[in-house]
Amino acid sequence: MINYRPRIGVYICHCGINIAAVIDVKAVVEHASKLPGVVVARDYSYMCSDPGQGMVREDIEKEKLNRVVVASCSPRMHEPTFRNTLKDAGLNPYYLEMANIREQCSWVHEDPAIATEKAKKLVEAAVAKALLLEALEEKEVDVTPACLIIGAGIAGIQAALDIADAGFKVYLVEKNPSVGGHMAQLDKTFPTLDCSACILTPKMVDVANHPNIELMTYSQVESIEGYVGNFKATIRKKARYVDFDKCTGCGICAENCRLAGRIPSEFDEGIGYRSAIYIPFPQAVPAKYTIDPERCLQLTKGKCGKEGPACAAVCDAKAINFEQQDELVEIEIGTIIVATGYDIFDPTRKPEYGYAENPNVMTGLEFERLVSASGPTGGKIIVGRDRKGEGGFEPKKIGFIHCVGSRDKSVGNEYCSRVCCMYLAKQAHLIKDKLPDAEITVFYMDVRAFGKGFEEFYDRVRREGIRYIRGNPSEIYRKGDDHTLIIKVEDTLTGTPMEYEADLVVLGVGLEPRKDVREIINLFKLSQSTDGFFLEAHPKLRPVDTASDGIFLAGCCQGPKDIPDTVAQAKGAASSALIPMASGKVKVEAQISVVNKDECRGCGFCVEVCPYSAIELVEENRQGNIIKVASVNEALCKGCGSCAAACLSGAIQPKSFKDEQILPQIAVLGVKTE
Amino acid sequence: MVDENVLRDKAKEILSSGEVRRLIGWKRGTYGYEAAPCVITDASQADDLIFDATCVQNPASFITLEEKLPVPRGQQPDTRKIAVMVKGCDSRAVVQHLVEKAYIRDDVVILGIPCRGVIDRRKAEKIFGEAPQPVLAVAEKDGVVIRVNGEEKKVSREEILADKCLRCRYPNPVISDYPLGDEVEKWADDDFSDVSEFEKESPEEKWAFWEEEFSKCIRCYACRNVCPMCYCVECIVTKLKPQWTRRSTDLSENTVYHIQRAWHLAGRCIECMECQRVCPMDIPIMTLNRKLTKDVKELFDYEPGVDAEAQPLLASYNPQDPEEYIM
Repeated sequence: MINYRPRIGVYICHCGINIAAVIDVKAVVEHASKLPGVVVARDYSYMCSDPGQGMVREDIEKEKLNRVVVASCSPRMHEPTFRNTLKDAGLNPYYLEMANIREQCSWVHEDPAIATEKAKKLVEAAVAKALLLEALEEKEVDVTPACLIIGAGIAGIQAALDIADAGFKVYLVEKNPSVGGHMAQLDKTFPTLDCSACILTPKMVDVANHPNIELMTYSQVESIEGYVGNFKATIRKKARYVDFDKCTGCGICAENCRLAGRIPSEFDEGIGYRSAIYIPFPQAVPAKYTIDPERCLQLTKGKCGKEGPACAAVCDAKAINFEQQDELVEIEIGTIIVATGYDIFDPTRKPEYGYAENPNVMTGLEFERLVSASGPTGGKIIVGRDRKGEGGFEPKKIGFIHCVGSRDKSVGNEYCSRVCCMYLAKQAHLIKDKLPDAEITVFYMDVRAFGKGFEEFYDRVRREGIRYIRGNPSEIYRKGDDHTLIIKVEDTLTGTPMEYEADLVVLGVGLEPRKDVREIINLFKLSQSTDGFFLEAHPKLRPVDTASDGIFLAGCCQGPKDIPDTVAQAKGAASSALIPMASGKVKVEAQISVVNKDECRGCGFCVEVCPYSAIELVEENRQGNIIKVASVNEALCKGCGSCAAACLSGAIQPKSFKDEQILPQIAVLGVKTE
Repeated sequence: MVDENVLRDKAKEILSSGEVRRLIGWKRGTYGYEAAPCVITDASQADDLIFDATCVQNPASFITLEEKLPVPRGQQPDTRKIAVMVKGCDSRAVVQHLVEKAYIRDDVVILGIPCRGVIDRRKAEKIFGEAPQPVLAVAEKDGVVIRVNGEEKKVSREEILADKCLRCRYPNPVISDYPLGDEVEKWADDDFSDVSEFEKESPEEKWAFWEEEFSKCIRCYACRNVCPMCYCVECIVTKLKPQWTRRSTDLSENTVYHIQRAWHLAGRCIECMECQRVCPMDIPIMTLNRKLTKDVKELFDYEPGVDAEAQPLLASYNPQDPEEYIM
């Protein structure tokens, strides 16, 4: 192509009136047509439409164009569109240059005359660069047909099953001893009131038994390297101190543990108790016991009673092994799905609700365990029992508080957690079901019943005699010495300050990014949105993708959502992850960095700054002298240009954004016309 | 200060041990006020080495200049180390080289020499006139004893020492393998008063000043060639694709060149002042460098060439970096 004199076609888009209302498009066309190298300059109402693209294709053929400049919106929007147009017309797609006269011009300027001048300049600069564009080659790499899924909550489970059913290998890694996640803790699910465990446990069993799924519970990802299609992960399988193959899950060990019933159960949110050797809940998958290394007397103190550990003594299978070590496993995968879930808001950060002081103020999740038939009370609503399960009382007056830690700038969470309105309505309904005489009051800011069947359910709950008061309580405190609580609130519909008595308050705590979110970000090089959840590649059109190719998001790690939305997103992530695996090949970025070996002095600054670990120093024999030069891994490089910024001698440059290509652009912008 | 015999003995020892392939130091020059840099490869040449107040050249500049000649077939490349003698200011160049990974620590043997200052040729010429014969100059605590054309005289420091020495904060090398001689006491501090003074002028005055200075430039690139920190394989000034600076010597291109040169040294200049010393047109090049040094210190609390473990300022990223530097 170098031998050809550049023949440039310039296309100015009206974008309806987005551009044309401010910019005099005809004047820009007129200006562009006189620029060096420009053969045709045209305008059209929507360049991205089929007739618009057709115009470009036709001109490439008739006018023998070999460079195309499109002045329209941001290249982030339509660069792929027009690259395909060029490709369809038989031109190298990288002979396209875009000038952004919408976001950078018509949308931000009011004065049409100045905006038109700027648009002319931007087009002129794009033409200046178009003259120097190079044809780039798009390469493909093979994809390892396996997927790593991190987190075995409902999102991870669903994605694993879909991918495994499609015939691909899945490594499902879960940090806890059992799969199931938060969904396993729930009692009934809104708005249909299916039993959560009943719909989840079959799927949990399926992932354990599926021939294509390798389940790694009580394991964590240590490191990830590589790129889409060719990731390498190191997984740490934490020591359970129980031989996985020998353990039959009979549970005699837990009954005989010296700490039986003394350790607050994480699964029961601390209202139930477990042993130091435990399974999180009866339906846990795998049904294998685990010793808590932070609690077990033998592991923490080196001594357990006079006769030694009782668990080991009673285990017929001889499964207990205090010498077990963590195991590191290396796996190769092509794609990754991050489904690490969420943490609930810690209500001690809202001290006015008295969660820390009053045992009868509880979180929604604690209430789920309380009301669950598999929970510590067997589903009886009894509050304030001691560790042995004695004492306690049946609440008569119950208050539910909406938006605890959601829609609340004071705790830094501006977002709506999307599930609290409905789970509180469901919990109010469950209480009404079990304690028909209880007086139930729900304090809300707004009720957001937006999903399928939500409004109907909310209506039903209100008709059951549950009172909804619009107001956000300012304080909850204990009245006198008994367990009666006072909820201070202003009914904002009538403007009256009120005080309500209650002997149980359930806080509708919101969903938050996990506390270990930083580690996951560092591991997978993910980004966060302002709410702290993982950022998707595009909020509307690429909701399960991340900025890193081959890494997808599913479930609440991307933002709060209910079970149906989580399952839908998991299925979306699964099908997105299947695309590269099914096609067996992925295209890698063509606009990658290139090293001018003659100028490289091998200092390695580019290696240090590269966010994709795409550069390494290699030894080269130069006339007998061994020197080091940077070398770019073409599959890993994303063309971000960090290396070019760090290079002191300008020896590494991203293709299509070389100094020699950008400089003429700047030169045009720097010179005043007329 | 160091006894020259100690220096020569050490050089002989290192060279005869076979540890190094060459040693960079100073020898008596052809012009009296300035010693000449020298590269020796054999212990027998060590007696040429000197150190006194005429040793103004920065030998660190030569470490990165070594050309890698083709190795004849069947032979191995000489990968032995390079030894270099450094004053305090010169040692900062070595440190900055290490920070920038121009070479690694194991590639160099550093002979550190404490220094009480070196003489400024221009100042000396004003006092004594030209000096075609070798000059002996010994910097002492309270002045410089100097012997020009057979006549010995003691001159105050301010009269004869280079400006960099009058604000020297590192009279002893900041890095060395073999410290030679006794450490000397620090005698000065740097308050950047020269830069602050210049900053007070109006933009028009400053521009008029630089317009005059840059107009003098003949683009001989001596300032670039002598700078220990200018060691790119291909200098941006000579690049043709893209061509950042045209080669013509006019005010516009000269200005571009000087701004480029100064900015390329932001956070890197170790203030050996070699650029200004070698300028045949007497352009106050260091004024630009000093301004950047001051800014880098104030904005980033960064001083180049002091800590070999430091990150290079402009090739590292810290979310806490101040944003005032964005113009």
